[in-house]
Amino acid sequence: MNKKSFTPYFFVGPHLILFAIFILLPTIYGIYASFTQWNLMNDPVWVGFDNYKTILFNSDSTFYTQFKNGLKNTLLFVVLTVPILIVIPLMIAVALEHKKVKMKGFMQSILYIPGLISISAAALIWSLIFNKQLGITGNIFGSTVAWAANQPYAWITIIVLTIWGGVGGNMIIYRASINGVSKDLYEAAEIDGAGPIRKFSSITLPSIRFPLIYTFVMTTAGAFNVFGQPLMMTDGGPRQSTHVLMMYIRQLAFGHGESIAGMASAMAVLLGLVILVISALQYYVMNRNAS
Amino acid sequence: MKKNVVYSLMLVFLASIMLTACGGGEDKNTITFWTPLTGDDGAYMDQLIKDYNATNPEIKVKHVITADMYTKISTVLNSGKGVPDLAIIHADRVPGFVKQGVLEPMTTVLESQPEINKDNYLPQAWATGTIDGTQYTVPLDIHSNTMYYNKDLLKKYNVESFLDDDVVTIDEMLSLQGKLDEGDYVVNDALLGWVVLAQIQNLGGDIQQDGKPAVNTEAMKQAFTEIKKVADAGLMTPFGEDGYLMFQSGNVFFSTDGTWSSTAHAAVEGLNFDVTNIYSTTADKFTNRASSHLFAMLKNDKRSDEKEQGIGAFLEFIRENSMEWAKAGQIVASKQVIEDPEYSNYMQSFFTSNEKEIESLYIYTYEYYPYVAEAVDTYAADIVRGNVDLDETLQTMQKFVEDKIAEGSKGTE
Repeated sequence: MNKKSFTPYFFVGPHLILFAIFILLPTIYGIYASFTQWNLMNDPVWVGFDNYKTILFNSDSTFYTQFKNGLKNTLLFVVLTVPILIVIPLMIAVALEHKKVKMKGFMQSILYIPGLISISAAALIWSLIFNKQLGITGNIFGSTVAWAANQPYAWITIIVLTIWGGVGGNMIIYRASINGVSKDLYEAAEIDGAGPIRKFSSITLPSIRFPLIYTFVMTTAGAFNVFGQPLMMTDGGPRQSTHVLMMYIRQLAFGHGESIAGMASAMAVLLGLVILVISALQYYVMNRNAS
Repeated sequence: MKKNVVYSLMLVFLASIMLTACGGGEDKNTITFWTPLTGDDGAYMDQLIKDYNATNPEIKVKHVITADMYTKISTVLNSGKGVPDLAIIHADRVPGFVKQGVLEPMTTVLESQPEINKDNYLPQAWATGTIDGTQYTVPLDIHSNTMYYNKDLLKKYNVESFLDDDVVTIDEMLSLQGKLDEGDYVVNDALLGWVVLAQIQNLGGDIQQDGKPAVNTEAMKQAFTEIKKVADAGLMTPFGEDGYLMFQSGNVFFSTDGTWSSTAHAAVEGLNFDVTNIYSTTADKFTNRASSHLFAMLKNDKRSDEKEQGIGAFLEFIRENSMEWAKAGQIVASKQVIEDPEYSNYMQSFFTSNEKEIESLYIYTYEYYPYVAEAVDTYAADIVRGNVDLDETLQTMQKFVEDKIAEGSKGTE
């Protein structure tokens, strides 16, 4: 019992308490709820693996169809947005490093500000932009399609909104880490006659390896939790083809009528597992390739 | 050394106090009143409560607008802390709540306020809260699906006769096929699910049979087939477009939205409109699918008798003075208000102008109505636009409702 052994807890304590109350306990309770039948009002009834069996194997069940469709649409969203959300911010960050680019701070702010706007407000703006009668797509580009109700336009509206809002965050991280790369390396490369592409691939990319892995994993995990954009832009349509898993989960737990929270929790746990496995894989593969 | 331990403990203690403080205290002399009334509705309710508190009642009312009210209700009921003294719930929640045993009967309130009785309210609004002879709620309003019409357009196409018998039939609408200028439409698809549920009544069907959900029925099929005719004839605003906005811009004859939209339509310059019943499959019957805002007391052992008296006094005040609520576009449930000549200035007074109109306001009270409505809302647009096969989708919808019910019932056994 010396003085040192308590000081760290003193500092970590507040965070630990908040973490336990707002993250750890709800997670544990959520996992517990996924093994029950629960309407949020009465006491949960333990049903073992029933919910999971229904979701994963009972192909007649509505919940099986919902989970399958929701996961499929969520995966599609991840595949469509994550690469763009890595590549575009990286390109912008590198471009902003160029000596001849003026007003870097200003450009950065312009790109970053959309990320500060709430999704619902942003979705209202974009749904007006894509509105057939009022919007730019109809009036300037002469599109005669109702974008939110037809594929692939419905996905395009969702992706545009996501990228518009998401580019800034990753870009800031890349800019900060590119700034941290020693200028000596670039000068040495120039003396050796390396062009811009070579400098990018041999110096910039390896130097920002960890920020890259970090953003890749975090962006993917974030994309799996997509909810606001499809809800606001298309409400899951047309024909539930943009209805993502989080929307089903929310509808089951907090939708109309009696809550089906047990089933919703089971879906949420499965989604969590998918995110966990994919994040771990990404980290493992990228880290191995990098070293 | 010991000091540090003490400090750490104090910090933990403080943090836990701060967190529990979020639970909120319960005040003896205030009625905490939760509503899901966001937006303008909330402001009208605020005004009503301000007026009530200005009468210096023994126990004042504190209005708390909670956007996510039903989620919060389940949370506070589970923990037993911070349960509101009074809440506004929707008609379709009553059967479920009563079955789950979370509503307190209004018995004491009714005993102390003799004027709060069946005869002084619109019958269906009152009856929604009566389950097995016990009264669980007192109604504030009925809010209904309604059909607004553009007077100028009806005149332009010389079809004002549609309105003669207060019911526009699908056949009447179809008679306009091929006669419209480009960009004009007969009807939009606002609140389409509610329109479908109204047709089921018009066709003599129901959404339940012996307590079991009946979605895949002849009536449902016919309802969809009839409405689909309008869409197939190109008379409905195109799929995915904002039909509500198109009505406001003067290109659509009829908008099937809600009583509460009248204020928004009135704000549109140059829109010459009035209100009528939702279109029907037959000239003999019309139905406006409705819901109701109801005052209810959630189970709470700590609610004192004095508070229940206070709630009674407040509800009596609302019964006598809810003209303010008519401004929100709602059909006020109190007969005293709707019989007041001032009420006829409001557009929605149309729906209480005679017995037949009052009867047309139909509130579904089937226990699992919310699931049925969810199924209808999810699939209605795609069925009417012919994006999906009708028979197959009706089967899916039936299964959708049955699966959800099966989950719920297992949990409460």
